[in-house]
Amino acid sequence: MANVDFRTVVKSFGTFTALHGLDLSIKSGEFVALLGPSGCGKTTTLRMLAGLEFPTSGDIIIGDRRVNDLPPGERDIAMVFQSYALYPHMTVAENIAYPLKKRGVPKAERGPMVAKTAEMLHLTALLDRKPKQLSGGQQQRVALGRALIRDPKVFLLDEPLSNLDAKLRSQLRAELIELHRRLGRTMVYVTHDQLEAMTMADRIAIMEGGNLQQFAPPAEVYARPANRFVAGFIGTPGMTLMDGMLVQSGNGWAFETEGLRLRLPRLIDSAKPGAAAFGIRPEDVHLGSGDLTGEVVLTEATGHETIVTVAIAPGVRVIARIPGTPALRIGDRVPVTLDAARAHVFAAGPQGARLNHPSGTADADEAFNIATPLRVASKGVLS
Amino acid sequence: MTTLTQTPLERRYARLGLLLIAPTVLIFCAVIIYPLVSALYLSLFKVFTPTLESSWVGLANYRELLASGMFWSALVNTLVWTAGTLTLQIVLGIGMALVLHQNIWFRSLARSLILFPYFISTVVAVLVWKWVFNDLYGILNHLLMQAGITNMPVDYLGSMPNAMISVILVGAWKYFPFVVIAVLARLQTIPEPLYEAARIDGAGPIARFFDVTLPQLRDVLVVIIMLRAIWDFKEFDLIWLLTGGGPSSSTETLPIVVYRQAFALNQMGMAAAWAVSMMAILLVFMIVYIRKTRDKGAV
Repeated sequence: MANVDFRTVVKSFGTFTALHGLDLSIKSGEFVALLGPSGCGKTTTLRMLAGLEFPTSGDIIIGDRRVNDLPPGERDIAMVFQSYALYPHMTVAENIAYPLKKRGVPKAERGPMVAKTAEMLHLTALLDRKPKQLSGGQQQRVALGRALIRDPKVFLLDEPLSNLDAKLRSQLRAELIELHRRLGRTMVYVTHDQLEAMTMADRIAIMEGGNLQQFAPPAEVYARPANRFVAGFIGTPGMTLMDGMLVQSGNGWAFETEGLRLRLPRLIDSAKPGAAAFGIRPEDVHLGSGDLTGEVVLTEATGHETIVTVAIAPGVRVIARIPGTPALRIGDRVPVTLDAARAHVFAAGPQGARLNHPSGTADADEAFNIATPLRVASKGVLS
Repeated sequence: MTTLTQTPLERRYARLGLLLIAPTVLIFCAVIIYPLVSALYLSLFKVFTPTLESSWVGLANYRELLASGMFWSALVNTLVWTAGTLTLQIVLGIGMALVLHQNIWFRSLARSLILFPYFISTVVAVLVWKWVFNDLYGILNHLLMQAGITNMPVDYLGSMPNAMISVILVGAWKYFPFVVIAVLARLQTIPEPLYEAARIDGAGPIARFFDVTLPQLRDVLVVIIMLRAIWDFKEFDLIWLLTGGGPSSSTETLPIVVYRQAFALNQMGMAAAWAVSMMAILLVFMIVYIRKTRDKGAV
C-alpha cells in the first residue's frame, strides 16, 4: 500500500498543454476515480503515474519515492488496460505469470501463485486457453489477474470496463469493489462513466480541460458540486442549469431569468450581483403543487420512475424526476415547485464557482422556514 | 441432395456464378494447366531444340538425370543459395523494418529509399555489382587495398567460395526490401498497449522484442519465408548474369541447368525433365505454404 501524490504536475505535448499544474493527494488504500469527458487529462494523469508518459514539470510521488525518473517496471504498480492488452500467443496461465517471470521468480514458485490468483478470479478452468478463446469479461479478468499477481503498491485501471456489455460491466464493477475491499490496495481508476465512479470510488477527481475541478467523495460531489461544470457533469439526467442575473432582493438574493424571478438561499459573502447560473436537480423539482405553472413537453418512463421535462417559462425548461409512472401527457399544464433550499448557484461561465453557502443545505434551511420549503415566486407565466 | 432442394432463384444465381467464373477457369487452363501438362509430356521425349525433332524415351530422361552427379550438385547449390540469401533477407529485413518503425529523422524518405534495390532492374543491379566486384578496377578491392585489409585484389566472382558468397549477398541486397515492406506493415498494426503492458510487467527492450514483437510477426514471417523461399529457389536471372553458374559449375543452380539443357545443349526433353523435378521439390514448399495459410484462415 502506498499513497500517491501529484505535485503541480504539468504535461505538454508540443504546444498543447494537457495538464495545467495538477495537485492531487491520494491516500494509501484509497479507491480514487479520475472522471471526466474525453480529452480532460485523466488518461494522461494515469499514464504519467504508470511511467508511460513523463511530466513536463512537477513531481509524482508513490509512497515516499519520487518516481518521475523511474521506468514503469520499477514503480511497483500494475495496470489494467481498456483493451486488456493480453499477450495473444501466451495461455492464460502464461499471461498471468509473465510479470513474475520478468522479475525472476522461479518457475516452481510461479505455479502456486498463478493457481491462487486464478482461483480468486474464477479462471482456474481457463488456464490453458489462449486469450482469443475467451469472452471479453474473461479476458478482462485475466488482465486483472496479471495485475493482482504482482501484489503492487498501486493498481492503475484505465477504463477497464468500457469494452464490456452493460450486464458484464455491472458484474465486474461489483467484483472490483469486493476486490478492493479485500486487498485494501490503493487503486486509481480512470473512467468517463459517472456511474462507475459514483458506485466504486472513495473519492472522485473530476477533471476538465486539464484542470482538476473537484476532488471529493461521491455523495459530496453530487450534493455540493464545486462549480458549474461538475454540477452539469454529475447526475443522470443532469441538473437543470439556467443562465440569468443575480440580484439583491431585500436582505437576500434572487435570480432572474427570462420571465422568472427565483428567491435564493444564503450565498457566500463574496457573491456579487451580475451574471450567474441557477441549477436544480430533477429530484428537487416537484410537480403537483406550487406557485409556478409549467407545460409538460416530454415524459420518459423507465418503469420505476419517470423523467418529465416541463417548460416553466418561454425558453426555460426544467427536468423533474417523479417516482412511478404518473398520468401525465405532453401538453398537460401542471403546478411546479423548485425546492430552492436545495438549489445550486454558480458564477457565470462554463466553470463558474459555486456561490451557495459552503455549509450547504442545512445552513440554507436556517435562512428559510424549514417546514415550508421555499416556493419560487414567478413574475411571468408561460406565453 | 442440395441441388434437389434448390429454388429457381438459387439455380439462376448458380448459373450466373458459373458464367462469371468461366473466363477465369479457361484462362487458368490455357496458361497454367496446359503448359504444365505439356512440360510433363515433353519430359518423356528426347527433343532436339533447333528442329524439335523428337522420339519417345519414357522415363529415361529422369533415370539419366537422377543418376548424374550434376543433378545433386545443382540441388545442393540451389539449397545453399536459397538458405543463405533467405536468411540474410529475413535478418536484414526485420532489422531494417524495426529501424524504420522508430521515430527517426527523414523516416518517410528512408522508407522510400530502402525499396530502391527491389525496384531496380536485375540487369542494371548486376551490372553495377559486377563493377563493384571487379578484381582489376572494382571499387571494393580498391577500398580494401587502400585500407590495408588486403594487399592482393580478391577474386569475388571467379573463385569459390567467394562466388557463392557474392551471389548470396547480392541476392539478399536485391530482395530484402520485400521483407522490410511486409514486416513494417505488420509492425504498424501491433497494438501499442501490448508494449506498454510489457513495460509495466518489467520487460526490457530485448524481452519486448521476443515476447511481443516476434510472436506478432510470426504469421507474416511464415508467409514471407515461404514466398521468398519459392522465389529464391527458382531465381535465374541474377545468378546467370552475375556468374553464369561459374566458376566451373560451383554456382550452377537448378534453373540454370534447365536453361543450359534447353538452349545450350539443345536437349529440350531433358530440360523439361529437370524442370519437372524442380517443380516436384517446389511442391513441398507449396504444400507447406498452403497448409500454413489455410490454418490461419480457419481460425
